[in-house]
Amino acid sequence: MSDGAVHCVVVTPEKTELDVRCDSLILPMYDGELGVYPGRAPMVGRLGFGLLKIKSAGKEDVWFVDGGFVQVTREAVQVLTDRVMRRDQIDRTAAEADLQKALEIKPTSPEASALRDRSLAAARAKIRLSSR
Amino acid sequence: MANIRQLDKRRKSVRNIRKITRTMELIATARFKKAMDRAAAATDYTKAITKIVQDLAKSGTDVTHPLLMPHESVKAVDMLVLTANRGLCGGYNGSVVRAALQKRAEIKEQADSGCTSVSGKRGISAFRFANVPVEKTYTEFDDQPSFDAVAKIADELISRYITGRIDRVDVAYTRFVSSSKQIPVVETLLPFSGIEVPQDDSAKGSKIRDDYEFLPSAAGILEEVVPASFRARLFKCFLDAAVSEQIARMVAMKSATENAGDLIKSLSRTFNRARQSKITQEIMEIIGGVEALG
Repeated sequence: MSDGAVHCVVVTPEKTELDVRCDSLILPMYDGELGVYPGRAPMVGRLGFGLLKIKSAGKEDVWFVDGGFVQVTREAVQVLTDRVMRRDQIDRTAAEADLQKALEIKPTSPEASALRDRSLAAARAKIRLSSR
Repeated sequence: MANIRQLDKRRKSVRNIRKITRTMELIATARFKKAMDRAAAATDYTKAITKIVQDLAKSGTDVTHPLLMPHESVKAVDMLVLTANRGLCGGYNGSVVRAALQKRAEIKEQADSGCTSVSGKRGISAFRFANVPVEKTYTEFDDQPSFDAVAKIADELISRYITGRIDRVDVAYTRFVSSSKQIPVVETLLPFSGIEVPQDDSAKGSKIRDDYEFLPSAAGILEEVVPASFRARLFKCFLDAAVSEQIARMVAMKSATENAGDLIKSLSRTFNRARQSKITQEIMEIIGGVEALG
């Protein structure tokens, strides 16, 4: 990352989806967005459900990221996520069904409640980002 | 006369079968290569996850998570059996089903078996034949299982395990060791043991140690890493099963083609012999007739 570019790698369990060099990028963290410029200090973070913006030569490439992690090392920014897709590929009806299902989970234990929150956040983010 | 015609007919039908089996072998080879590429592409994710876990462990975090903890008493055990949708692949389906049924009998002795889920039409009919009740069936997994579909199953299992409805999850599938060796196994996936934590890394004398910043905290990340690596692990099982199926089909069809070739050879020999003996007999008859006239 020392040559003034950010090396961004997006990996899903199926394959390496993206492997690009860019000027900077914005990551959707669990609690808000986080920008990465060349030379950022090493970091491991949890991703939320939101948009990954890759900026390169004045252009912005936007992807939807479905949770996961990011690891920033000296060499690269590695984004690990279950799913990565373009914004128009988000299936709104499926997300609404997921939301209903998540609402039906009874939070009887701390774990179940965490699971419920997580599913709710995922479904709501999808609905929000697909509507615009 | 009838014998010769019958032999010829039989030879023709064997030839047709050989054509079919050879084509199936070629298809299986192509699919095997594709499945293999997918399995290779999937290792990137596993490697990256392992690296994160290692970095977490290095930072002095205790690696604990509800999915990693065995339940005190094992009362309900879920079992997932991965078979193929189609046959003609030698002992592939049979051996997975056999291993699964054997394990299931063992489980029954100590605990109530929870849900038994079967993927693949062949497995479903085998379980029906064995009179084993199956709660869930999947037939959508072919030679290229999609992660989304597998993740749904994984999430379901995670929530059942965390909420305490089940105490163990076993998966029966064919593990891919190398292209010449695949073994049917029954593995316990939950409580999860797939996270390897390096005990002592200082011996490596690694160059510069990166001091990672953890957002939100090491424990918070771990909470996500464990389910993610469980999903990846289950996905790996599906990929292994898909690759093994294609190899099994390739091998089965190759030997079927060879056997058909042998059969054609021996049929041709009998056919030629029968034809020759018929000709000889006719000549003898003609000579006999000429002699009688003369």
